Amino acid sequence: MNEEILHPVMNMKWRYFKQRLFFGAVRLSAFVITFALLGILAYILANGFRAITWEFLTQPPTDSMTKGGIMPAIVGTLYLTVGAILVAMPLGVVSAIFLTEYAKQGALIRIIRIGVNCLAGVPSVVFGLFGLGFFVVFLKFGSSILAGALTLGILILPTIIGAAEEAIKAVPQTFREASLALGVSKWNTIFRIVLPSALPGILTGAILGVGRAAGETAPIMFTAAAFFTAVLPKSIFDEVMALPYHIYVLATAGTHIEETRPLQYGTVLVLIALVLGIDLIAIIMRSTLRRNKRW
Amino acid sequence: MKNRKHSLTKHAKEIAIRNLFGFFAFLSVLLLGLILVFLFREGLPLFKQISVVDFLFGTAWYPTYDPPEYGIWPLIVGSLAITFFACLIAVPLGLLSAVYIAEIAPAGIKEILKSIIELLAGLPSVVLGFFGMVIVGPWLQETFDLPTGLNIINAAVMLAIMAIPTISSISEDALYAVPREFKEASYALGATKYETIIRVIIPAALSGVSTAVILGMARAIGETMVVLMVAGGAAAIPEGIFDAVRPMTASIAAEMGEAPFRSGHYHALFATGIVLFMITLAFNLIADYISNRFRETGSGTL
Amino acid sequence: MEKDFIIRTKNVDFFYGAFRALSDVTVDFEKNKVTALIGPSGCGKSTLLRLLNRMNDLIDGTRVEGEILFEGRNIYAPDVDPVEIRQRIGMVFQKPNPFPKSIFNNITYAPKLAGIRDRGEIEALVEASLKQAVLWDEVKDILTKSAMTLSGGQQQRLCIARALAMKPDVILMDEPTSALDPISTAKIEELIDTLKKHYTIIIVTHNMQQAARISEYTGFFYLGKLIEFNATEKIFTNPDVKQTEDYITGRFG
Ligand SMILES: Nc1ncnc2c1ncn2[C@@H]1O[C@H](COP(=O)(O)OP(=O)(O)O)[C@@H](O)[C@H]1O
Ligand SMILES: [Mg+2]
Repeated sequence: MNEEILHPVMNMKWRYFKQRLFFGAVRLSAFVITFALLGILAYILANGFRAITWEFLTQPPTDSMTKGGIMPAIVGTLYLTVGAILVAMPLGVVSAIFLTEYAKQGALIRIIRIGVNCLAGVPSVVFGLFGLGFFVVFLKFGSSILAGALTLGILILPTIIGAAEEAIKAVPQTFREASLALGVSKWNTIFRIVLPSALPGILTGAILGVGRAAGETAPIMFTAAAFFTAVLPKSIFDEVMALPYHIYVLATAGTHIEETRPLQYGTVLVLIALVLGIDLIAIIMRSTLRRNKRW
Repeated sequence: MKNRKHSLTKHAKEIAIRNLFGFFAFLSVLLLGLILVFLFREGLPLFKQISVVDFLFGTAWYPTYDPPEYGIWPLIVGSLAITFFACLIAVPLGLLSAVYIAEIAPAGIKEILKSIIELLAGLPSVVLGFFGMVIVGPWLQETFDLPTGLNIINAAVMLAIMAIPTISSISEDALYAVPREFKEASYALGATKYETIIRVIIPAALSGVSTAVILGMARAIGETMVVLMVAGGAAAIPEGIFDAVRPMTASIAAEMGEAPFRSGHYHALFATGIVLFMITLAFNLIADYISNRFRETGSGTL
Repeated sequence: MEKDFIIRTKNVDFFYGAFRALSDVTVDFEKNKVTALIGPSGCGKSTLLRLLNRMNDLIDGTRVEGEILFEGRNIYAPDVDPVEIRQRIGMVFQKPNPFPKSIFNNITYAPKLAGIRDRGEIEALVEASLKQAVLWDEVKDILTKSAMTLSGGQQQRLCIARALAMKPDVILMDEPTSALDPISTAKIEELIDTLKKHYTIIIVTHNMQQAARISEYTGFFYLGKLIEFNATEKIFTNPDVKQTEDYITGRFG
């Protein structure tokens, strides 16, 4: 006879003890993760906010980047990010439409899916190498906004495809049926019914993509980012400063690393505010969307 | 008859749209191929100078010496060491937090925690690198009386923070996907919640969870800015967790700016990119295989 | 007088993958009459209905055998555009499924895409369709409001109006009242009665009283087969087949 069965009360106590232990570990892990995020944010905020002045945000760096502001880096990041989304949005949405509305299961769709997954897994520095080899060298764009935006665009393409697919799949099948049953073509059904219904979800994905693109450093290091530019870019073939690269440069490559710490904290704070602000918008948008679902 | 012709052209239009969209969808695959082509184009010339074996297993990385040495074994070991320790931290945290979100947390906390993990995923790697440099590094150096706080363990901790969201969110999806009947069957047999989670839910979600771990590892091995800023940069085979290393990604990012165009050094960095690409590609294909096999057999393999 | 059949099916078999949902269905639908399709759940009524306007094309892995003739033309012939078929054979679904657009735009959506541009013509069409669907008085002041704000019964009449706006020849209805309350159901039944002067209506219903009330012909299906097709009165008073009688009198299964 099994001893455990003979002492059910003792046995239950032991079982519940294990459960408490496990739940404790589980809650602890959630706490550690929360603490990591809030700790990092609080620390950067506490050290960075003093650097944030109007001048810091609107002036270029001065005195070999030991003083002044980060305006060219903000502008550069905006250009690169907007460029990336202009590349990735149309491609991503069209791919998602194909994957959800046109392709039946089969070899082609399987290959495309694997391709998208693997593209999502390519390390960002490899995107940088590719951008260098293809856009900068082979297509002779040089280190430029164009090369950087294209590289970043490819980098966020899988994110956009995934989000758009999810949004399109969430459109109820009854909408499609209602439209098709009225004798409306498939193309018009997709364009007039499915896409408008999926639009908020697609935009949420796009915003997340923007946040990702704005924070990336390695892909633009060899394709777009300049150490320092005194003037703002005049064309898409110009190099630009960018926030993430500026942080890296100030924190590692200067001869005044300690001296420029306040500038570093300030720049980090601006980047975080930008990226997490964008992410937060997307997250809030998505949850209100889910709550106000009209169907 | 007019009507019929009209419908034929309309049909042709639909087919044209389908093919056009298919082409754009296929572009992701083409891009993947293109990445490989251009990595090879700029990387392969290296092997006119040294053999593949000497490149992969050579223990000396002195790309700027005369004569230069391009052995990336120390860089590979550096990448693997950091990834290993990062996963040691990130896998339990990621998995447990996924269990918390999927099975235990009350609805309100669940939403908040999910948002927190998503924001964590959004933290730019350069920010984590910066944090590791100015906070974790000095702290490690003082506490353990080290020559430098920029080392394997520092990089592993910061990388773990990057890998946790990947592991957590994919595991969570897998846990959610476990059919409710399994859980109910287990509860109905008098199992506790803990026993149900450990004996039923996690085994049923195992392939999803393994996918999550593999993708988390791929993420860690390919991460650049964190290791560039906090791993210490020494291109030597490490002997302990407080040693500085120079992972492949860091080497590429740090040296590409200085390597003369199409020099041996330049080619060697692209060749390192090929190795990196192949490793992450393998990880992703394995993850894809596991999650796909699971989808086909469903939960019947429990 | 020779009867005028607008849709005829000949020896139709239908498969979802390997599963045969319909076997050897041959049935003729008379023009400007109401035909009801009845039978236990899962017997293939919806499947047949969706075959008539090629909605089953949307489901992967399906296969049709036999012929379905619409005005003498096989709608599954390779040169037939399903879009064109669906413009002429409208459909109303079990659950009301208006688009998340305004009432006005729900009606104008398909006609506009079919090429009607003139504003006056479109407005007249909206009014006429809504009047035909006996919804006009209830919504004429709120045409720009979202269709989602209407009640279930109103939504279903809007869906009927939406189908009418395409001026179809045939309207297929798949249990159009099963999601509605009795009052809305009565309204829709009245509506069907007025519509049959100008339209051929084929309606699936699980409600036998409804079939008896509104239809001229009734087909009884069981396990994918057409067991009996007859005038409604005959089916409900003196059916030819024992199985039909059992079903109608509730002595079934
Ligand atoms: N999309 C589908 N895939 C596979 N089988 C289906 C599908 N739709 C219906 N069926 C099957 O076909 C049979 C007939 O279904 P249906 O025409 O919906 O019946 P009814 O409308 O009479 O209730 C049922 O056995 C049903 O399970
Ligand atoms: Mg049905």
